[in-house]
Parts: sequence; structure tokens; C-alpha cells
Amino acid sequence: MQLTGSHTLAAPIEKVWQMLMDTDILAKIVPGVSRLEKTGENQFEAISEIKLGPVSGKFSGGLTLSDIIAPSTFTLNVSQNSKIGNADASIKINLVAVDAQQTEISFDGDAKLSGLLARTGQRVLSGVANTLTKQFFSNFEEEIAS
Amino acid sequence: MSNKYIGKAVKRVEDKRFITGKGKYTDDMILPGQTYAYIIRSPYAHAKVNSIDISHALSAEGVVAVFTGDDIAQSGINGVPAGWQVNFKNGDIMKEPPHPLLVGTGSTVKHVGDAVAVVIAESKEIAADAAEMVEIDYEVFDAVVNPADAVKEGAPLVHEAAPNNIAFDWEIGNPKAEVDEAIANSHHVTSLEFVNQRMIPNPIEPRSAIGLYEPSTDRYTLYTSTQNPHLIRLLMCAFVLGIPEHKVRVVGPDVGGGFGSKIFHYTEEALVTWCSKQIERPVKWTSERSEAFITDAHGRDHVTHAEMGFDKEGNVTALRIKTFANLGAYLSTFAPAVPTYLHGTLLQGLYTTPKIHLDMTCAFTHTNAVDAYRGAGRPEATYLLERLMDLAAHEMGIDPVELRMKNFIPPFDGVNQPGYQTQVALQYDSGNYQEVLKRGVAMLGYEEFRKAQAEAAQSNKLLGVGFSTYVEACGIAPSAVVGALGARAGLYEVGQVRVQPTGKVSVYTGAHSHGQGHETTFAQVVADKLGIPLEDVEIHHGDTETVAFGMGTYGSRSLAVGGSAIVKSLEKIIEKGAKIAAHKLEANVDDLTFADGKYTVNGTDKSVAFGDIALTAYIPHNYPAGLEPGLDFSSFYDPANFTYPFGCHIAVVEVDKETGKVSLKRFIAVDDVGNVINPMIVDGQIHGGLAQGIGQALLEGAIFDENGQLINGSYMDYCMPRADDLPMFELDRTETPCPHNPLGVKGAGEAGCIGSTPAVVNAVLDALWSGGFGHVKDILMPTTPERVWRAMNS
Amino acid sequence: MEIKISVNVNGKDYVREVEPRTLLVHFLRDTLRLTGTHIGCDTSSCGACTIHVDGVAVKSCTMLAVQADGCTVTTIEGLAQGAELHPLQEGFKECHGLQCGFCTPGMIMTAADLLAKNPSPSESEIRHGLEGNFCRCTGYHNIVKAVQYAAEKMSNEVSA
Repeated sequence: MQLTGSHTLAAPIEKVWQMLMDTDILAKIVPGVSRLEKTGENQFEAISEIKLGPVSGKFSGGLTLSDIIAPSTFTLNVSQNSKIGNADASIKINLVAVDAQQTEISFDGDAKLSGLLARTGQRVLSGVANTLTKQFFSNFEEEIAS
Repeated sequence: MSNKYIGKAVKRVEDKRFITGKGKYTDDMILPGQTYAYIIRSPYAHAKVNSIDISHALSAEGVVAVFTGDDIAQSGINGVPAGWQVNFKNGDIMKEPPHPLLVGTGSTVKHVGDAVAVVIAESKEIAADAAEMVEIDYEVFDAVVNPADAVKEGAPLVHEAAPNNIAFDWEIGNPKAEVDEAIANSHHVTSLEFVNQRMIPNPIEPRSAIGLYEPSTDRYTLYTSTQNPHLIRLLMCAFVLGIPEHKVRVVGPDVGGGFGSKIFHYTEEALVTWCSKQIERPVKWTSERSEAFITDAHGRDHVTHAEMGFDKEGNVTALRIKTFANLGAYLSTFAPAVPTYLHGTLLQGLYTTPKIHLDMTCAFTHTNAVDAYRGAGRPEATYLLERLMDLAAHEMGIDPVELRMKNFIPPFDGVNQPGYQTQVALQYDSGNYQEVLKRGVAMLGYEEFRKAQAEAAQSNKLLGVGFSTYVEACGIAPSAVVGALGARAGLYEVGQVRVQPTGKVSVYTGAHSHGQGHETTFAQVVADKLGIPLEDVEIHHGDTETVAFGMGTYGSRSLAVGGSAIVKSLEKIIEKGAKIAAHKLEANVDDLTFADGKYTVNGTDKSVAFGDIALTAYIPHNYPAGLEPGLDFSSFYDPANFTYPFGCHIAVVEVDKETGKVSLKRFIAVDDVGNVINPMIVDGQIHGGLAQGIGQALLEGAIFDENGQLINGSYMDYCMPRADDLPMFELDRTETPCPHNPLGVKGAGEAGCIGSTPAVVNAVLDALWSGGFGHVKDILMPTTPERVWRAMNS
Repeated sequence: MEIKISVNVNGKDYVREVEPRTLLVHFLRDTLRLTGTHIGCDTSSCGACTIHVDGVAVKSCTMLAVQADGCTVTTIEGLAQGAELHPLQEGFKECHGLQCGFCTPGMIMTAADLLAKNPSPSESEIRHGLEGNFCRCTGYHNIVKAVQYAAEKMSNEVSA
């Protein structure tokens, strides 16, 4: 499944970058995440709860960041497991300064699903992905404003 | 003898328990001390199991045991076998890699749903909760799901032992060179790439099994939702668990539909049986629906290139076919036979085609097993023959009815005319193909339809008619024939008739009933043959402890084979009864006639009722010298040939030009299933088959993504026909008796599903052709609005 | 933590302790051992578990047992009046509206609700009314006839 999107945030590129690299902030703004712990350089353990249409599940697993070029790009590798199936995704995130106070954040990636998640979730998944993306950006905006 | 019941629409005796909620299905049972199994399954289609950690689950409260593939391997248990062996063209034995009950550490899982561990607990909730605590580390590999892709160089391998994922290749028919030449010399050749998509049988009752081990007697009982308990016992005892067969009882209680998918010996049956021994308590497993989607065997899944040659007059000259059949990750019980002996042998169809060749490659893929689904091979053969017929008629500008009539095998009854020897091994028993088509066309009102179609062609709602005529082989099968073809079992049936001292009759049949109404149909036969009331007959099935032996229900065989076995026993009863009657009447046996429930001395009014004979047989005070007491016979019936039902199916559809939506307006089916014992039940069988065949054409089909994930694995996503998807069906029949079994019956269970699919797709294409889309040769099934719309707008 | 509920099922009062997560269908099948109500799926799509709660057809897999506290429930086992079958039960038998029998209880309970709301439905209203229930055996042909049979019988009973 392809994951793409972009959004313009009202903050300078350095601030957006800093927030993305801050585990505590990230845990707050990523929808469904209940715990995010640093386990090594650019490595995290995450626990999240997500409802995907007819199925919902508690996910746990690793997050790693790679190909980091501050403050403009990094790749987020997600490997989340749950009783209802596993999700593996690799998402490239790009930041571009629109002007001194605005930053465009865009992402492009691919997710592989397995198990019940693939069987019954796929049909509603693009809708869920859109919702989660919207939530992510609105949480991000709230966090910038606070 | 007059028939009081045979041929009549007798209401079903089994209905009472079902309409009052008193049916007894496997999952309805709770045995004392019962535990619940939750099977942990691979979420990946192809992955190595690096490690399994069961420690947390084992220590959870209420968990009784957790077993992995390593436990199974240590106890020396084999995998589940295929019941049929097919050889490569070069004579090599097919590849049959093991199908373990649980995949162990260091081994690879081969499809989503492959079992890795089992948690047994005091309740199903505890078992499911504890299953979440089992930690399994997988190393994921690429997967392959399409049979034509699987055999290409470099495709991910399912089994090391099967290079290029080929289970076996196979051919049938005339020498390939002769067929090539006939095609090359044809005036016209119609060719098409077909996909007969993967179907999911989906009986509404999910599979369920309870294993019970009794230490006091060292005996096992397996309750399971199966179509053939004896076959399960044989395969499980002799091939998997190595338990002596007389120590095992298998019961198939009420079973909520099968459609082929409950023929096979599944790993879960052996697993719960084995587990019950380990913990010395009953172990129940019931599939969830989402689990059923990835563990039940699926059906069809062929990718085919077919060519049909014609001469100038429209006579078929040759048929050449190359097919890749998907067998899934493991060879299921009947899997090797379905694309070969149940498919290749039906490619003659109803036509006089002089040259036929099928080249078949059967492939392993990272998907669940593919095996028999209602019709099993015969729908695939019918689909390509009948699609080619309508397409050829369109291409050559000949009417599709006329083209069929021109090519039909002339009528033959198998008595005055010999059976028809096909180019593909089988010899048809009897048939009159012209008659069913003639009747179907009359019911349609063909001329008026074509007028209405021409008018509709100017509008946004196009009308189309599709024809399909089929012949199938059922009543499987002569043991010697199937043995020569690789079956690892005989395919006879057993029928025991026990006349009780009071004249009531208990019948034990190896044919299992799971919707087919055996308890009624078989009783009709017995009641009429003995001249007794239907209420005095009871049919028993589904329990290896009460039924001597049996091969079960599939391939529309129950009445043709199982019914014939009962008739054989009835003949023995009547013959022995005559000896007792002769003694009582002080007459010669040869002077007696048995009719209407009594033996009469010819030319007199001296007679004795069957009930008196029964009582005398068990209280033999005044009895023929040297004759054994009792009136109880068991017979094995091994059929002389397959039976060959045939028919004509016609679909009328409306296609919305704007949206591509197809509505099925009419469906006409004229079937000949031989003699009919209960027309109500036969019609019901046809209805159900039609719905499944129409479902394949319009709605259904499994979809795997490239990683081997079934992405429509729920009832919300896999689209089965609902009540408002179907019209009332228009049925008629002819009755051409089967010449080689005592009842003259052929079989009705699969006919509806075999003939209907191509009729519907042909109708969709006919609608498009009428609307000016003459270039469209094919639309993939299911013919969804999107596909139809794209075909019109391509 | 178990919760105490009291439910009237098929005219009998039951007081039982249930886990909060117990589905009504499991309560009926496992606790009360009324196994005529069947489970055919896990997505509320098949209708095999259809029962009546306070006179209205409900898929009992979509309700928790605790939600039925204080309710009146009718299952297939409670539909007949003593030895006398409900007209729908009779219709299913007369018209061969069932084969394997697994979807039948849910189908009958749905049809009973349909006829209560619309005593003389057309063929298409019957088909539409039953679209929440799967049958894999009959192709629905004889189920439609069974419902028509019952509708006619019930209207004759009313007018008689």
C-alpha cells in the first residue's frame, strides 16, 4: 500500500525538524501511540493502539530512523506486530522551507501488511491512513501552537 | 410393484430438527472436561520460523498446554498425505512434500494460515489471550501466488524438493502432434486466455473438531465436520498418527454444508486427536470465519490458453489446451486428481471433437491448498468449452444454438446404442444432448428474446443471452479405474440394511448427508423396495462405529453409489425373505412374487406380509432347515462406470452501459440427472449449484496480494450471492436413465455449479456484442461493474 | 469481574453471572446451551445468529450479553407454540427451504421479523429483507417460497 501526503506547518524548518527528532513530542503527535522509548541511536520501541475499520489491535515493535540529513530528510522504518497481523513500512520524509515561518512536510512510502490486518483491514485502509495522517498533522499543529 | 415414494416430492424427514434448532453440529457439543484449542498461524505467506517462545503463555492461568511443531516432530508423527498420486509425464512420481500439523522451529511456513503452535486452555477466551503471549520470530521471504508465475525461472520456491514449484506435469488426449496439425489445418481457430479464478467454498458452518482420548480403553473419538468420516479415519490412522484403525471412532454429526471443502483430511483433525492423548482430556477446535478463509481448501484457480479449431461448415476439428493449475502450498486429499482426472477427461464435452490435447502443469504456490470445490475440475472444463463455443459462434457469425446442435454427439442410451467413447479416456453412459438444448431454447422464447435484445441495444440497458451445455462425470467411481489412475483408495460404497424383528428397518450408509437429504431419499428407495411405510425406515450415517465402512459424499456419488449398495442389500433381504416365506406358505420359492410388502404364491391369494417374515427371521421356531436366522445384510457396491449427467443452462442478463453493472434477469436450467427419486430435493440441489456457479461468474473470487496475503478474507470482502442478487430459477428436466446402476440414477449435486458459470459470462459478452462492443472477447470473472465498464470503454 | 444479568429467554427467566466481554450469542449457546443459534462468521455478516430481542430481529453476535439484561429474548427453540410449528418453520419444511440447516434458524428469525413488519411482502421485498443472511445451499429460491407460504398462511389465520 502506498502512503503519500504533504502538509504545510506554521513553523520554521529547524523547529519542525527538532520536534520530529524529539521522542516525547513524537509520542504525543503520532496518533494511537501510547508509548515510545528510545532503545538506541535512532532506534525506538513503540506501543500503539489503532482501529482499522472492523479490526482493532494493539501494536508493538520497533521504529528506526535512517538516511538522516538534517534538517531536510530522513527515512522512517516501522515494524509493528500485533495479534491481528503485522505492518512493515518504510517512509521517506522530506522537509522544505516554504518561507522563514512555514515548512512543507511531505512523505512517500510503502506499507506491507499481513494476517487479519491484510485480510479484513485492507479494504478500509486507505481511508484509515488518510484519517491518521490528518490527525498527525493536526496534532503537530497543536503542538507547534502550544 | 407400484412406487409410493420413488419419484415423489416427499418432504424431508431431517427437517424437523433443523427448523426447531435441534440440529447437532460439532461445535454444539461440550464434552465433560473439554478444553479449547487456539491455533497460532503464520501471518506471512513465506517465512522461516527462527524461534518460538511459549514460556509466558504456558504460565498463564487457565492454560493447560502449549505445543509446537517441535513437539509434534519428536513424537514421530507424519504430515497429512494426499489421497491421490499422479505421475509426471515422464513417469516420475509427483512431488509430495510433507504437510506438517505444525511447522517447527527452523522450518518455513508456506502460506498465510500455516499452523505454528497450539494453545490449549480451559476456555476459548483464555486460549486466545494466551496465544498473544507466544512470541514467534519470523524471517520473511518473497512469495508467489499465481500458478503461471510460480513455474518461471527464479520464482520463490515453496518446497526445496519441487524445482520450479512444479508438483507434476500431465497430459491427456490424442498425440500432441496430431492435434497441432488439426489446429493448423482448421478453417477457423478461436483462441482465448482464461482465468478460472480461485473460489472459496464457504459452507456457513465453519469447520470444527473435537478429539477425545479415553485412557481406560486406549480409544480415540474424533468428532469432526466432515463429508466422509471413514476416509478421515483411514487417512488419520494409517498415514498421520499411526494409531490402529480399530482404536478410533470418527463421527461426522450434522454438518453445515461442505461443497467439497469438508472432504479433505485437515491437519486440525489429527492435531486435536493427538493433543487429547497428550493431556488426556477432550480438545475442541472451532474455526473462526477469518481463520476458515486461510485454512479451508479453496477451489478452481486455473490459468489457461485454449484453442478450438473449426472447418468451413462450423464442425469442431480440434481442441488444444495449456493450463497451469494452482495446488497451493501443500497437496490436499483430492488435489492432484482435480485438474487431471476430473478435468482433463471432460474436455470432450458434448461434442464430436476428433482431436483433443491437454497439457497441464500443476504448481505449488504460497497460498492455502486448492482442492475439490463443487464440481471439481468439471466446471473448469465446461467453462472453457462453453466460452469457446459462444465466442466461436460470434466470430464465425453462426448462431450459438445452431453451432452446438451441429457438433453434438448423437443421442445414445447405452443399451440399444453403445456408450460414447471420448478422446480423453472416459466412455459416456447415455445422453440426449439435443433434447435439453431444445427445451431450454423453447423456455427462453429465443426469437422473441432476440427481438427484445435488438430494441434494447438502442438503449442504455443492453440485454444478453448466454448458453452453456455440459456433460459431467460423477458417481465416482470404479475402484479399478481410479486405482489405475492413482487413487490411494477404492471408491465403492457400503450399504447395510438391518430389518428389525418388528419389521422396522435401520439402514447404515457410508454416504454422509450434510444438506443433500439422504435421510429422506434413501428411505424412499428402501420403503418402496420393501413395500413398507416411509416412517418404518431410518437412515443412519456419519459414524464409523455404526456404519461398517464407507467412502463418503462427494462427486455427486451418494445415490448412484451409496444408493446402489443399499439396493444390493435390499435384494439380499428380499431373496432371503422369500425362503422364509416359501417355508411358511409351504410353496416353492420360484412360485413366489414379492410386491407391495408381501410375498404371494403366484396365482393364489395366499400371501405373507414382510413384517411376519421379519419376526420369523428373529424367532425361527418354524424355520427353513439350514437357513441362518436374522435379516441383516451389508453390501459393497463398486460401480461399473462413472455416471454422466448433462444439461443446458441459459442466462439472460441486463448490462447497464453507463455503469457496467450486470443484473441477472432469468436463469433457465434443463438438467438430466438420470432417474429422479425425489424431484423436490433434486431441484434444491440444482438451485444451490446454480447460485454458486452464478456467484463465480458475477461476484466471487479470492484475491491475493503479491505478498501472499488474502485481501478479501472476510464475509464483508468476499462477495457471496445474497438473496437479492438472484432471480427465481426456471427449471425443467429430462430423464435419461443410467444404464449401469440399479436405480438408473446419475447424480445431481454438482450439475448446477458446472453448467451455470459460462452461461452467465457468455450472456454478459452477448449483451456487449449486441451493443456494438463486438471486439470484446473476454471479461475476467467475477464480471464486476468495473471490469464490464472497462471492457466497453477500452 | 462478572456481572449479574437477568434475561427472559423463550419464556423462561434466567439470572446468570457473565463476563462483560461475553457476546449474547455465546451466552445463549454456551451458558444456556441453546445451540440452535449458530455462529457462521466473525464480522456480523452471515445472520446465522439472528434472534429476537424484545420482539426485534438482532444478530446476537453484535450484542453483549450484559446489554440483554432485562430483555425478552426469543430464539429458534422458542418459536414453535408447543408441538405446533410456527408457519415459517412449516413453510421451510413444505417448500424445501433448507438443506444443511445451519443458516436456517437465523433465516427463520429474520423472516419472522420481516413478516411482522410487512405481512404480505412481494418477492423483491422478501429478497431484500433477507439480504443480511447468507445461505450457501439453496440459492434462496425455496427460502423465498417458504416465506411466501408462511405469509399466506398467517394472513389466512388472521382473516379466519
